[in-house]
Amino acid sequence: MISKNLKSLLICLGISCSAFAQDPDSLLNQLSDKTTNDPVSATFKSTRVIISQSTETQKKYDLNFLIAHRFGDIGGDFGGSHTLYGLDGATDIYIGLDYGLTDKLTLGVGRSKRDELYNVFLKQKLVQQSQTFPITATAFVQGAWITRKDGNNQFSNTSDRSSFFFQALIARKFSDILSLELTPGYLIRGVVTDPKDTKGLFVAGVAGRLKLNKRLSLIGDYQIPNFSRSDKLTNTYYNSLAVGLEIETGGHVFALNFMNTPYIIENSFLPDTQKSWTDGGVRFGFTISRNFTLHKSKNPDIHSKIY
Amino acid sequence: MESLKNTKKLFLLVTLLCPLLLKAQVNYSTNNGKISFFSSTPIEDIKAASGKASAVLISKSGDIAFQVPIKSFQFEKGLMQEHFNENYMESDKFPLAKFKGKINQNIDFTKNGEYDVTATGILSMHGVDKQRTINGKLKVMDGKVQILSNFNVACADHNIKIPRLVLAKIAEVINVNVDATLNSINK
Repeated sequence: MISKNLKSLLICLGISCSAFAQDPDSLLNQLSDKTTNDPVSATFKSTRVIISQSTETQKKYDLNFLIAHRFGDIGGDFGGSHTLYGLDGATDIYIGLDYGLTDKLTLGVGRSKRDELYNVFLKQKLVQQSQTFPITATAFVQGAWITRKDGNNQFSNTSDRSSFFFQALIARKFSDILSLELTPGYLIRGVVTDPKDTKGLFVAGVAGRLKLNKRLSLIGDYQIPNFSRSDKLTNTYYNSLAVGLEIETGGHVFALNFMNTPYIIENSFLPDTQKSWTDGGVRFGFTISRNFTLHKSKNPDIHSKIY
Repeated sequence: MESLKNTKKLFLLVTLLCPLLLKAQVNYSTNNGKISFFSSTPIEDIKAASGKASAVLISKSGDIAFQVPIKSFQFEKGLMQEHFNENYMESDKFPLAKFKGKINQNIDFTKNGEYDVTATGILSMHGVDKQRTINGKLKVMDGKVQILSNFNVACADHNIKIPRLVLAKIAEVINVNVDATLNSINK
């Protein structure tokens, strides 16, 4: 009888004391905020996947200066050794500036070689993926203005030189290694050369990034502007497929990209791609960019300095 | 029967007293300790800071524990912060840096004063645990304890790899600074 009571006494004693025993781990756990809902970052490594925009925007006060280049056809009539597999030519060159007005809103301006095209865009991140929300969504609006000489009276009105592109970018980082993006959009052009063509084009698209190892990722980008387009057009237009290898060096990202589209910005490449992967119309393309932080933090604890 | 009654009384007494006895022990904690670090090379100095370190100090045993969410470190350049989390610390996989150890000196926390101390324990970072003895200073002032410490962390010790291309910009040994003021918690 006594021993039984003694036992229960010891048990109760144990329980009562352990409730007050303080080991640093359990105290730390009480302290740390369990409701953290960190946004998922770096769904893509750059603000562009290859040819289309990614859901990423510029960081606040960061200015990105970028030069994109598309070489000539690797194969076919315009490629081969005579043009060093397209490297002699540039089908399009884009020089642009992207600026982060906020962490979520980017303003961009640029100029393309093709059509001497000037463009302005706004890109707004609407929602960000987190533990409680499955996707990141970004809205993209781009206006472009053709400034080349009007050779064959193509532009009867000044407004014919303009085009506008609206796009929803919806992405999910499924894991550390896989991010996928859907890119539905709508393009309105000021004028079309083919009477059977429509000024408005619905665009579907899919893009993704697959991490092969810590430094290497495979990226793919497929833009489909032609599903709603007449198939009786004089010229044959192709959807744009781009694949690339992304090499990370812990600060800089290099990408080796190949694509059939010869042009760079959406307003240009979506409606006018007449090259295909099957007839040697693939080319090498690259983008170099340099990011400038145009803001000094007021907190001296985080000042960085480049000598 | 008598002995049973006695045991019951004793039981009641001890259960009541137990928490009272323990109340004499004063513990200290904070949720907003400052941890900053500094990487210095001839080409570039990089600093980052977090004000979200949690710390706990058990006065009786000298047990001490710190932890800081890696994502709470703020950099001047947002892109640098992203690379820090993505490429170097892999903070989705290893969200916290921790130190759990014991202060090697006996400190009288009831008296105000400054003490040079060392703490020996495990520093966990980027999924790698490392036994360390870290120097620091304790300042006891009116029921608060300020902990100051400055120590180095070698990236290689915690399997944090720096690509050769940026080796000139990122130091192989990072200097870490801790400044946390812990308030007493009485239960």
